[in-house]
Amino acid sequence: MSGLMEYNGSAIVAMAGENCVGIASDTRHGIRQLQTVSCNRQKTFQVTDQCYVGLSGLATDVQTVSQLLNFRMKLFTLREERKMQPRMIGNMIASMLYEKRFGPYFTEPVVAGLDGEHKPYLCTFDFIGCLSTAEDFVVSGTTAEQLFGVCESFWRPGMNKDELFETLSQCLLSAADRDCLAGWGGVVHIITPDEIITKKLKGRMD
Amino acid sequence: MAPVANPKTFCLDIKKTNEVLTAPKLMDFRKGTTTLGFVFQGGIIIAVDSRASMGSYIGSATVKKVIEINDFLLGTMAGGAADCSFWERHLNRLCRMHELREKERISVAAASKLLANIFWQYRGQGLSCGTMVAGWDKKGPSLYMVDDNGDRHKGNVFSVGSGSTFAYGVLDTGYSYDLTVEEAVELGRRSIYHATHRDGASGGVVRVYHAGEPSVGRSPVGTWDWKP
Amino acid sequence: MQTSLHFCCLSLKSTDCDQIQFLRLWQHCGRGSMTDSEYSFSLTTFAPSGKLLQIEYALNRVAEGRPALGIKAKNGVVLATEKKVTSPLVDEKTLSKVENLSESVGMVYAGMPADYRVLLRRGRKVAQQYYTTYRELIPVSQIVREEAAIMQEFTQSGGVRPFGVSLMIAGFDDSGPQLFQVDPSGTYFGWKASAIGKNHVNAKSFLEKRYSEDIELEDAIHTAILTLKEGFEEAITADNIEIGIVGADRKFRVLTPAEVQDYLGEVE
Repeated sequence: MSGLMEYNGSAIVAMAGENCVGIASDTRHGIRQLQTVSCNRQKTFQVTDQCYVGLSGLATDVQTVSQLLNFRMKLFTLREERKMQPRMIGNMIASMLYEKRFGPYFTEPVVAGLDGEHKPYLCTFDFIGCLSTAEDFVVSGTTAEQLFGVCESFWRPGMNKDELFETLSQCLLSAADRDCLAGWGGVVHIITPDEIITKKLKGRMD
Repeated sequence: MAPVANPKTFCLDIKKTNEVLTAPKLMDFRKGTTTLGFVFQGGIIIAVDSRASMGSYIGSATVKKVIEINDFLLGTMAGGAADCSFWERHLNRLCRMHELREKERISVAAASKLLANIFWQYRGQGLSCGTMVAGWDKKGPSLYMVDDNGDRHKGNVFSVGSGSTFAYGVLDTGYSYDLTVEEAVELGRRSIYHATHRDGASGGVVRVYHAGEPSVGRSPVGTWDWKP
Repeated sequence: MQTSLHFCCLSLKSTDCDQIQFLRLWQHCGRGSMTDSEYSFSLTTFAPSGKLLQIEYALNRVAEGRPALGIKAKNGVVLATEKKVTSPLVDEKTLSKVENLSESVGMVYAGMPADYRVLLRRGRKVAQQYYTTYRELIPVSQIVREEAAIMQEFTQSGGVRPFGVSLMIAGFDDSGPQLFQVDPSGTYFGWKASAIGKNHVNAKSFLEKRYSEDIELEDAIHTAILTLKEGFEEAITADNIEIGIVGADRKFRVLTPAEVQDYLGEVE
């Protein structure tokens, strides 16, 4: 992987619950890896009323890809007069990333959403668009290894939205506390069929 | 000595990527740190963070980066953890030997020179150390910065490590020789605190030592942690 | 000299692909006696009355073509067409007019067979591109829009003529069974039942009388055969008509002559 993936730092994790799904990210924005320049960088983006995309990696590409996604989503809804399901969004992102196979965006997206039957859908990609789905949780960013560890321990099936929020938050904060490049606060979105709950997390500021 | 044709450049050679039998990242034990020390009317303040990072991974958040060489000398560590702790403990032994042989305590100047000479000897072989040696001797308090190039500087205000620029920013703004002890401790604490915020490789707790006359503290005057 | 300047301007905005085309044009210009106007003007130019005559002529061509029709049923769609050949020596088995655009969408035409093949090829490509992007079958409305866009482009581009075909496109997607007709101008409409080609006016009024909202696919197939029969000059057989259906299984397929034969038996 390229060094650009660690240039700004990020921690993104998404988890499935019972008829709900959650996505969380840290908020740090670093430059040249170690220099923290802001604590409110957006890394998760709402693409439909039931789907979020998390973008880790190089901040400039994260912004570009999020705008590109926004553009594609709007064009699609105008053209087809329907909502894209998370699965479709995943496949679209995969093809968008592979389109740039030989001059890629340095970002590894995460898709988290509820499909038409309120079933959670989770997937991640490498930066050139290899899609992989998961039933339990997906992680991305410089904190990926740490997140895998805590999620593997604390995720359990059938969590309700409150349990999901707690697990997601604790996993994110504990993992980010072991990464120099991520942390400095976080944000969590819980997607349920009726509402989206968004909460900000306070974290260690070092 | 490493069993190779040119042992002196062994550490540098294995960093190369274009030859066989190399380990490019093996010797990259960068350890992000912020340490600082300054002399003021009340003696010397030494303040350090406590993060040990391995690459971008945080290995520990409770590392001790100040070594109490003896009752009158403190050393700080920045750089490779093993290099710093080994050579400062070695310095510890040399200082004690000096004391036994000469029946008087070693001066800060001499102690720091011992360390600088060691670094000079190993210059170019990949040691990674940025240290401060501070303490009291007959002439009063003094502070030296010694690094792996063999550089040795005497001064009133130093900061060493990846977060040093941030610490300097706060330190230089608030520093005055006439600070009270409380003010000086607070300045040291605040400098490290802000450095740990801006520098990804610094963090954990802030440990502040005050070396006041006639002997330095064997333990920090304060340890501060982040409150989330 | 003037010509060369003009083309240089074009190439500035061009992609690589266009540049190749530009080079070709360039070579062409060097050799031939082509002037600017012959490239930059569409054949489809407004008549003083406001009509685009080329499109009207294309429609005339369609109205002379072999009839084709489509009926949307409650649980599927049927497409049917006459497949009469000009000589008894032609092997009808090598001829197919109803074709798949995608797994769940099919198409039939009235008009020029060669033009139809172009639209078929481009439509299939579009369907496949959609699938590779989204890993999902293209909705009927989208493939219809794409086909219509191509047909419209050919009414406004330089050096081309409009397509001499009308299309009937049938499919089944999340919005249920659907039937569309696309004309040479690029206009399209959704239909419950419609007919194109020779006798389409009569065929349509026949369909109007026969159609009901809750018709079943099987009945729609019968109605389709009966409608074709109305305008048929000779005996209708399994070899001189073609039928394509799509049901709730969302698989569009062309019926085999044996299946068509069975339906012909049921109708009689």
